[in-house]
Amino acid sequence: MKHALPLTLAALACGFSLAMTPPAAANEACGSGEPATGEPIKIGAIVGQTGPADFSSASKSAAAFFDCVNANGGINGRPVEYLVEDDAWNPETAANAAAKLVNDEGVVAMAGSTSFIECGTNARFYADNGIGVIAGVGVPRECFFSSNIAPMNMGPRLSTLGAAIDAYENQGARSFVCMAPNIPNVGGWFCEGLAAWGADKGVETHNVLHDPATLDPTSLVLQAMAMGADAIIVAEPAPAAIPIFNAAEDQDLREEAIWLGPTSIYDTAFPAAVGDYWAGAIKAHIEFNTLDSDGVDNTAWLSIMDEYGNASDPRDSFSQGGYLAAKIITGVLRGIDGDITRQSVLEALQTMEAVDSDLLCGAWSFGPGDRHNANQAGRMVTMTADGWETSRDCFVSDDPELADIRS
Amino acid sequence: MPDLTPFLVTGLALGSVYALAGMGLVVLFRATGELNFALGAIGAASAMTAWQAHAWGTPIALAALCGVAAATAISAGYGAFVSARVARRSNVIKAVATLGLALALLGLMYFIWGDTPRRLRLPLSALNTELFGVRVTGVRVVALALCVMTAIGISLLLARTRLGLQMRALADGRDLSALIGIDVERVTLIAWTATGVLAGTIGILLGSLVRLEPGVLTFMVVPSIAAAILGQLRSLWLTLAGGLAIGVLEAIATPFQDVAPYRSLVPFIVAIAVLVLLPARTFQTTRGS
Repeated sequence: MKHALPLTLAALACGFSLAMTPPAAANEACGSGEPATGEPIKIGAIVGQTGPADFSSASKSAAAFFDCVNANGGINGRPVEYLVEDDAWNPETAANAAAKLVNDEGVVAMAGSTSFIECGTNARFYADNGIGVIAGVGVPRECFFSSNIAPMNMGPRLSTLGAAIDAYENQGARSFVCMAPNIPNVGGWFCEGLAAWGADKGVETHNVLHDPATLDPTSLVLQAMAMGADAIIVAEPAPAAIPIFNAAEDQDLREEAIWLGPTSIYDTAFPAAVGDYWAGAIKAHIEFNTLDSDGVDNTAWLSIMDEYGNASDPRDSFSQGGYLAAKIITGVLRGIDGDITRQSVLEALQTMEAVDSDLLCGAWSFGPGDRHNANQAGRMVTMTADGWETSRDCFVSDDPELADIRS
Repeated sequence: MPDLTPFLVTGLALGSVYALAGMGLVVLFRATGELNFALGAIGAASAMTAWQAHAWGTPIALAALCGVAAATAISAGYGAFVSARVARRSNVIKAVATLGLALALLGLMYFIWGDTPRRLRLPLSALNTELFGVRVTGVRVVALALCVMTAIGISLLLARTRLGLQMRALADGRDLSALIGIDVERVTLIAWTATGVLAGTIGILLGSLVRLEPGVLTFMVVPSIAAAILGQLRSLWLTLAGGLAIGVLEAIATPFQDVAPYRSLVPFIVAIAVLVLLPARTFQTTRGS
């Protein structure tokens, strides 16, 4: 998403990281060697760029990463041609985009896709055509329940649950309200994860599911408070969470509950937008490491964005997901002996060795199963007056629905 | 039975904004035969401009005035340059023309401001009083007061002033009005300008009460149309009552788990019920020529 403030911060952060790390750091993450030549290997991505929100950030970081790969040896000498399509949040456009990339362009895999509707629309098509997809960020349930799609992130369901687990373990919360948009396979699915976990723990859970276009955040807040819960999880995109926190501020409810959110509120513009009233009082669960963390991958991500991306590209958690997706598919492609085809890529993905990264909490692999949710652990951050600080390192979101993947 | 009084209190504030917007629609429709689908978008432009001015360091009160001024300029500009050119077309075409303005403004606002989370906080939000267990902020009180004052003010304008008489004459017959010497274009422009002031004020209130986001503010015109339909696009007081009723109904549905997720349907259900139950001729007003 495009923000003036985060861009400034990101520009500062990038300037900083560039000053501190030698230019070679960017290149190390994407390879070594001469600029790639020859027949390109086509990789696709579908993102929801135009529409209710701009979800193209992951494809921008993936594009920067592939540019870096191409300048540093490519895929064993061959360049990557990265083709990004906008689905405009429209299922029909998403289906056309997939057909164009797979049938017309002949992409061998997809990497860095991020869309609200694409997984549901195209999961079957990818399975039928043997295309492997590493989504930069998956949001709805379908992104986590498809044989050929593996998202880099944990997903909002596990992130919502992670926020609850932290409040349960560290703040003594024993009852929760899950506030989420009433969209099929989105809000209800997030909150059911909390309910399933709560049933195991003997924890009371309630839902406030609402029309995403509702004009009345105060009623939602009053409804949540009337449930008398210890903690309220605002499982909304950041722009929709702001009015809820505003309404709670109007009612002076900061001390009346523990206020939590999933990764979606971990936005650098968020602290200024909700205001000082909430400093120290909002905690968020994050699916990747903090945007200013100093690990190898986070540092490389920022310097690659600086060297190969545009100054206007967001430096947000979606961008981290796109970087990882591109990095992992690059590693997989480089490891393929023989022809690079959609079949050989899918097979290599399904049998890949798990990859570690400081952006993740555990090793990530595509996996051979019918569904994929490799990223299951995250961190907690607490909002300060002008940013976020880490309040808890890696812990697992123990969703009973993951039993099949864990076994 | 859950305690509904807190929801009644919150619903009244939202209802007053619906009612204000509804009255804005009615006034314009009565004067020019135009159903202004762009009222929400013009309000959104006001709120976004106010936010921008404030972000650039303008004091909030002055920033709010900048917002209202921008909205008034857009609305008056439309009244002067577009409205006059579609004056002789059917009401449907006039309405669709305003829809064009709404979508153009919405696109422009997304282009300029994107989807960054932000908020517009008026100092009035900090003033509050407790009522039935709910804190009522200054913005809510102002919204309700403004709503009643607008209804009284516009009623007096239409009933007691020369301009009001001309507006009513225009609504009854545009060509006849011109024949008897009414400056039709001037009256149209005044109606659009007044709507702009109203839309701008509503945008600021709603941006602070609800959410500072161009799309959300643009589509608030929908419940307002429902309120205006309740007033049969003619009666200010019925529109006022309709707006308040929609706001309150929407809010008091909140504690009922089974219907709560669907409560934003209230304006549509109200509008459909009114259209089905009232005779069709109720809505005929302006005779073009």
